[in-house]
Order: sequence, then C-alpha cells, then structure tokens
Amino acid sequence: MSAFQNGEQRPMRSMEVDSDVEEEALVNDYKEQVQYEDGIGEDLERTSSFGMAAQTDDIQSRLVAAAQPLDFSAPLEVKFQSYDAYCNLFHFILNSEGPVDLEPPSYYWAWDVIDEFIYQFNSFSSYRMRLARQPRDNEEERQILRENPNTWGCYSVLNVLYSLIQRSQITEQLAAMKRNEDPMAVAGDYGSKNLYRMLGYFSIIGLLRVHCLLGDFSLALKTLDDIELNKKAMFARVMAAHFTTYYYVGFSYMMMHRYADAIRMFSHILIYVSRTKNFQKNAQYDSITKKNDQMYALIAICVAFHPTRLDDTIHTALREKYGDQLVKLQRGGPEALPIFEELFRAACPKFISPVPPDFENPEANVDPIDHHLGIFMDEVKTNMFNPTVKSYLRLYTTMDLKKLAGFLEVQPEELRSYLLVNKQRARQLRWTDQGGLLDGEWVNVSDLDYAMQGDLIHISEAKVGRKLVDWYLRNLARTYN
Amino acid sequence: MECEDTQERPEAITAIINGLERYNPEAVGLLEDYLRQQCEQRYCDCNANRTLLKLYQLNPDRMKDEVVTNVLLPEALAKLRELNTQLQGAQYSRFWRNIEGDDLCADLVADIDGFEDMVRIRIATLVSHAFREVDVAVLAEWLGLEEGAARKFVQETVGWKIEGDKVQVPRNAENEAKKAEVREDVNVDMFSRVVRRAWEETA
Repeated sequence: MSAFQNGEQRPMRSMEVDSDVEEEALVNDYKEQVQYEDGIGEDLERTSSFGMAAQTDDIQSRLVAAAQPLDFSAPLEVKFQSYDAYCNLFHFILNSEGPVDLEPPSYYWAWDVIDEFIYQFNSFSSYRMRLARQPRDNEEERQILRENPNTWGCYSVLNVLYSLIQRSQITEQLAAMKRNEDPMAVAGDYGSKNLYRMLGYFSIIGLLRVHCLLGDFSLALKTLDDIELNKKAMFARVMAAHFTTYYYVGFSYMMMHRYADAIRMFSHILIYVSRTKNFQKNAQYDSITKKNDQMYALIAICVAFHPTRLDDTIHTALREKYGDQLVKLQRGGPEALPIFEELFRAACPKFISPVPPDFENPEANVDPIDHHLGIFMDEVKTNMFNPTVKSYLRLYTTMDLKKLAGFLEVQPEELRSYLLVNKQRARQLRWTDQGGLLDGEWVNVSDLDYAMQGDLIHISEAKVGRKLVDWYLRNLARTYN
Repeated sequence: MECEDTQERPEAITAIINGLERYNPEAVGLLEDYLRQQCEQRYCDCNANRTLLKLYQLNPDRMKDEVVTNVLLPEALAKLRELNTQLQGAQYSRFWRNIEGDDLCADLVADIDGFEDMVRIRIATLVSHAFREVDVAVLAEWLGLEEGAARKFVQETVGWKIEGDKVQVPRNAENEAKKAEVREDVNVDMFSRVVRRAWEETA
C-alpha cells in the first residue's frame, strides 16, 4: 500500500520533461510491484489459515471473492447469485452509516473488482442475447431471464459506477491534483479512505469501458476528462488497468474516425508491454496476450485508413502478425472488405445492447456486434478507393481529372466524390496532450495534398527530410565507444 | 461546425448532461423541448441530443407516445443511415435526389427550420477545402439546386464570385496544396540523456 501512496502524492510534472527517465522509473516500479504482489499472496494465505474474528473474516472474504473471476461456464443460477453478491457488497460500501472502515485486501483489489463486475455484466448480456436469438431446448433458462430483466441490467451497473465515483469525490480529487493541490483537502470522509478512492478511480475507467460497450464512443472519451493520460496516472500502476484504458480509448478514437489518435494510443501501450514483458508473470502475461494481438489488428485497420510511419518495434511485430492482411488492407478496393471485417470482428469489444432482448421475437434482436460492424463497414466502403486514387496522384504534380477517371475506369463525377472524401479524411482532429480527449486541433495528417482548379488537379507531396535525431544519436554513440 | 458543446445551452440542460440526471427518464421531456428549440433557432447541441438518444435507447417505452412510432423507427433509422453514408461519401447529388423523392425524408426534416440551406452551406465549406475553382454546373448538382438558384445561393449566401461558368473559391489553408518538407527540429536537450550517461561512465 505504501508504494501506492508515495506514487500518488509525488508532485506532478509535465510528461515531456524527461519522458525516458520516467519510463525507466515506471518500468522499475513495475518490477518492484510484481515482487511486492508475490509477497501479498503469501500473506493472504497465511492469514486465512490462522483465522480471524468471524465477522471481519466474513467481510474480508467477500471483498476477496468479489475480485475473483467467475467460471466462464457457470450455470445461470450462479450468475444470478454473483449479481446479488455484488449488489450487497456495493450497497454495504455505499450505503452504510458513514464510510466503512476497511482496507482493500491488495493493491490490485479495486481494479480487479470493477474489472470482474463489468466482465460478468458483459458476458451475461452476451449470453442473454444469444439465448434470445437462438431458442433451442433452453426454455427454462429463457423463462428465468424473461422474468428477471433487471438482473445485470444496464441501469444497475451504471448506477454502481456513478455512485462510487460520486461517493469518493474522485473527480474533485483529480481536479485538485491537476492544479497541484492536495487531493485530501477535497476528498471528504469517504474519499480520504483508500477503499473508496481506489474504487472511485477505477470506476471511471470502468465507465469508459461500459460506454464503449454500449457504442457511445464520445461519452466514453469524455468520461476520462479528469484523468491525465500520462505515465504517472494511477491506472498506470496496475498493468491490466493501464492496458484496458488504452485499448478502449484507442478503440473509441478509431470509431470516431480519429485514426492518428487511435494509432498513437495503441502504439503507446504496445511499446510499454513489449518493454515489460520479460518480467511479467506468466499468468498475467497470458491474459493480455489476446488483447495485445487485438490491438495489433486495430493498428492494421487504422494504418490502412491513415498510412503513417510506425515505431520500429510496432512495425516489425505488425508485419509478423498481420503482414499479409495489412498488404491487402492498404491496397483497398472490394478485395479488402472481408479482411476489414475479419480483423474488426476479432478485435472489437463484445458490444452489448442497452436493453434486454425481445424473447417473443427472436429474429427482431440484432446482434450488437453485427450492428457496430455494419456502421464500421459503411466507413470502410466510403474510403475504399482512397488508396488507389492516392497511388495515382503520387505520380504527378498536375493531372486532368477526366484523364485520371479514364485510368481508374470510373465516371468523372465518381472521381470528384472520391477526391472530396479523401480530402476530408486527411483533415483530422488530433489530441494535443492537453484538455479532454475529445478536444484537439484540426491538422492535415496526410503526406499527400491536392487542390482542384476546375478539372485540373494540383498535387503536392510532403518530402520527408533527413532523420536528424537518429543520425546524431547513432554518431554520438559511435564517438563514445 | 461547432456543435459538441454549444454556448446557447441553458444551465438546466448542462446540469442534466453532466450528472446522474442524464439517466433519469424524467429528463426526456426537458431534452425534447430543448431539441425543438434547437430546430427552430438553427443550432445543434450534439452532446445534449445524444443524451436524449441514450435515454430513448435505455427506455424504449418513452418513445411510444411520440410522433415517432416504434414501427416507423427502424425504417427511419435505416433511411438516416443511408443519407449519412451519402453525405460521408460526398455523393451529394444522390443525397438530394434521395431527399426530394421521399415522403419519409420530407417528414424527417420538416421540423428543422432551414435544414436544406444548412446542409448546402456545409457542402460548400467542404468543397472550399478541395477546390480553387469549380464549374457552376457541378456545384449546382452538389447543392441540389437549378443553375440559376445555385448562382444566387453561391453569390448571396456563400459570398463567392462567379466568372462566366466558373465559381471562384477564395484561397484558404486547405485548398493551397503547398509543397511541404517534413523536418525534424533538433535541440541539444534531446541528447541530454546520452551525454549525461557518457559523462557518468567516464567520470
């Protein structure tokens, strides 16, 4: 626990000051935590074998249980029980007389609880949707679900997360930290306790995730308004939280067509993972391997929309994992459509519907994943011909529109539309490291620019100058050796 | 188009959007009134309207007594998505043909004052990002207007000059297509770590 407190009260410096040094510090910090956690595990085993006063033991074991993953194949009854257990626990924490006097069992506990709570909500919703869409020999379960539409309901889950945020005054605390003031001054009776502060904090990350699962991407990003995305953020000290945050932020940006920002978010976290993987414990690392691959798939999609130079580590890994697909995506055209679809399905979150399904009309229920895939594919189709058009434009400095239409075998009107679309997509809102994630400034993100004078297209391509920093670094290194 | 958080938004609406109230089904009425006000006064507060949509989504029963019936809604949504795709894909002449020949579309936009001109201005803005000069006939198609009406709209509402049959689009940052060179700005601080390490090693 002491590590966490030191971390939080360390004065905030701007991220750019000495980013490398910080990264190094964070990586070391992480190593310590991994060892620290080993210690905790032993402690817990010891305490449980010694036994404590019955009541404390009961609530402590409930706290521990709330963070335990539920077996994927657990029967419906167990899922209902688990929901009740969460409701009771959160009710106890939120509505007791005054703040409850409990310490979180471990540093990771608050994250684990919120994570598991949302995971169960997510898988329950998906399971219920599947049963509603495919009625087969499961009338009994369908009946139970029909009669209990509010179990694992959207409202309850949102209510828990918002209430934890409110109780802990975490928003106020984070705002104070941003102003370099003492968060404790505004934390109140609840928020000054570790239990509430950490639950409140991770509930913000939880909300980001739930809004994204419901397909509300701008609200998802807005949720993080009070959290500063830098390496000293509290979430950065819990690997799974760090990882999850960037996945959902990146995904939301992608769905809002802000590909430059999406690539930046995915790259940031993937580089961090690759730097820390050597001392991740195997179990934890396995669990993030899947999300890791998903983010590479999403980077492939974003790069196809918005060609850009990637970090070397990312570039190499991307070619290893999705080399063939990436080539097809970047070529565009109708042949690329199934690849976009395949990668999106493999890498998107398991979207959920905000309301219980209609059990009476199975065919009336649209699979939420299909729904969001459809919207995504609209955008893919709109941009389908951009790569081809751009590859031709690169060859000329001026070009007649009708002549180019002839090369491409399309009508001039179609080509004018392609050119307008491509021009619009080259202008993107890009986050500037300050302000909310929804803010940003409009920039031209493409290395190819053009303007039309009637049917005459003027084309200019940005020349990339020498990579001076690289060059100096390499030569400096040589001098020292 | 600035429509994420508008200045016109009343305090009461801000309170709904930023708090737990945004999930209170009772807020639907206030948000609906506010939407009507936006339609009449020609502005758009996306954030507030998304809050309303979310409430509809979470409480489908709230929509029953509205003009929008449950039967109509899926069709209307499909139509809106089609129109959106056409606008996104810069298929402007198709968009206008789609609007004109369709009763459902006419119903959808009937309550929005000046809807067509707002779309035209938006299209003109996007055109100005890509064109320095454009044929009147081409632009007229995109604006969904006859050539005469298009000339009038371009000169009076948008404020561009027309020479012969060419519309002259004023220069702006987007339609320059200037040659650019991407260069790295280098300063000594970037190498401070390398230099420091070398110093520490030799010392």
